Amino acid sequence: MRHIFKFPDIGEGLDEGTILEWYVKKGQSVEAGESLVKMETDKVVTDIPSPRDGVIAARYGSEGETINVGDPLVEIEMEGVEGEAAQEESKKIDEGEASKMETVEEEAAGVVGTLESAGNNAFLPASDEGVSVAETNEKPSQKKAIATPVARALAKELNVDINEVKGTGPGARVMKEDIQKYADSGSTNASNQGRRMLDEGPRVRIEPMSQMRKTIAKNMLRSKHNAAHMSVFDEVEASELIAIRSRFKDKFKADDIKLSYLPFIIKATAKALKKHPVLNSEMDMENGKMIYKNYVNIGIAVDTDDGLLVPVIQDADRLSIRELAVKINEIAEKARKREISMEDMKDGTFTITSFGSIGGKFAVPVINYPQAGILGIGRMAKQPVVKNDAVVPGNMLPLSMSVDHRIVDGGEVTRFLNQIMEYLGDPINLIMD
Amino acid sequence: METTLGYQKYNLPDIEILNHPGDKFFHVWQPDKTYIVLGQSNKTESSVNIDAAQVDGISILKRPSGGESVILTPKNIVVAFLSNQEDYKKPLDFFKNSNQKIMRALEKWPGVKGLHQRGISDLSVDNIKIAGSAIYRSKNYLFYHCVINVAEEVSLIERYLKHPKREPDYRKGRKHSEFVTNLQNLGYQIDIPQLITHFETEFWD
Repeated sequence: MRHIFKFPDIGEGLDEGTILEWYVKKGQSVEAGESLVKMETDKVVTDIPSPRDGVIAARYGSEGETINVGDPLVEIEMEGVEGEAAQEESKKIDEGEASKMETVEEEAAGVVGTLESAGNNAFLPASDEGVSVAETNEKPSQKKAIATPVARALAKELNVDINEVKGTGPGARVMKEDIQKYADSGSTNASNQGRRMLDEGPRVRIEPMSQMRKTIAKNMLRSKHNAAHMSVFDEVEASELIAIRSRFKDKFKADDIKLSYLPFIIKATAKALKKHPVLNSEMDMENGKMIYKNYVNIGIAVDTDDGLLVPVIQDADRLSIRELAVKINEIAEKARKREISMEDMKDGTFTITSFGSIGGKFAVPVINYPQAGILGIGRMAKQPVVKNDAVVPGNMLPLSMSVDHRIVDGGEVTRFLNQIMEYLGDPINLIMD
Repeated sequence: METTLGYQKYNLPDIEILNHPGDKFFHVWQPDKTYIVLGQSNKTESSVNIDAAQVDGISILKRPSGGESVILTPKNIVVAFLSNQEDYKKPLDFFKNSNQKIMRALEKWPGVKGLHQRGISDLSVDNIKIAGSAIYRSKNYLFYHCVINVAEEVSLIERYLKHPKREPDYRKGRKHSEFVTNLQNLGYQIDIPQLITHFETEFWD
């Protein structure tokens, strides 16, 4: 009988851990209580003991790999546990499911807290002695099928409910052939679909998430769960900005500096943040305090092949347009070389995301929590505008702003956005103000 | 070119209570010099400013417990506790209990106010860290150790340690200099031998 032992929750409430060192190899005999692997969660390093005597039949995960609670760690072949004894073991585990803590503490020899025990379907009786095939098949819908991993994979691929399939292997185990036969027999609607999938290849591709994608997912959820998102949208007529940028573009180019609109937008935002410090703050709910930053560090969301990165321009309010342009060039170069580090991304106080360079007009940006706000810049477009009672061509720059409504109210956000628009509409204010 | 700087196995006095269980259930000591102590999964290259450590001839050790790297100096004290596995259902409870013992002792003398346990295992005053701890769980024992920054300047941490790869939520990306302080900077003038005696008295009770 084989016992699949899964990484238990060691009582910190954390959902993942890193494998530091394996103590056992495939084929090695272990005793209950003997250390299998050294794992690390956030602050705790712990040896995970074997819950059973047996031989290691399989080991999952390599050193340095992070795995989730509930992922299999090892499969232990328990010698001499067959037939009725295997059924008893399975039954014990079933009962254990109802009162995990008690069973586990007794069985896991040193693992404290809730232990994720292998369920009934994780036990594979080694022979059919004492297991009535007829009995197993009588109530197929009430029991989880006993099946080989290959059969499970094929069933998944062919969209076959494995619990509906009659197993012909030892102990009524469902074999690969049983799945194929079931699908070929056209017993279900899924069979045609399954055949089509075999012809066309699988309909889905499953890949492990990259660490960066995990981090992005975690940060986005943290923001959505903790902040009270509110968004406002507006457009600014930016013909003056275009003119100034055109005037200086070639000058900068002579010094090998690419001048985009972004340095002006950062400058305008940094100056507006100095006038509206609540947008440059964060809330410490736990201690009932507001933290106002006397410095302005602007994060710039950068779309890279690896995912979204937000490098930070430190003390952006103290930099000139030229210095900001240089910083942006540096960031772009680092992003191209994939050299943006944690150091480059820390301590931002406000974020700008310029998706317009790709093509969007408006969006609802997600706040880079715990910051108070994020400004989204859309694609500038030529549009008719009314100036001095005449319809003339204008260059409209769309602005999308999300804020944490716990920190700032609508009126203040609007005043802040108006201030940015004033700077961008008439950029001379950036130096005169 | 990146240099790999070796480290030694953690062999400082507190580990003795784990190596010889039954003798003592706690140990408090003052480091005799400066050490850089890596967490179990830390790598020297990514955790330590190697050039500074080499120039200053600082010993680098790797402890058995988890968490990120720390600096031990003669201006810190280290407190360690040992417990049987069966005394605690969860390591978090052991963290909590051990930290509470230390907090109660510090509140009694020198009267530190505003102490909290933050993150998983830090001790902080408001949201500034003054102590960090970690646990190693062997087959039969839980071993906890904590370094309390009594008077060491945080610039030393900046000098030797890089920004950690993992950080508690409340750190919020703050630099060492903005995140950590010492009790002296908070206005508590402490004689370290006296604090050790005080802790020993408290923990025996």
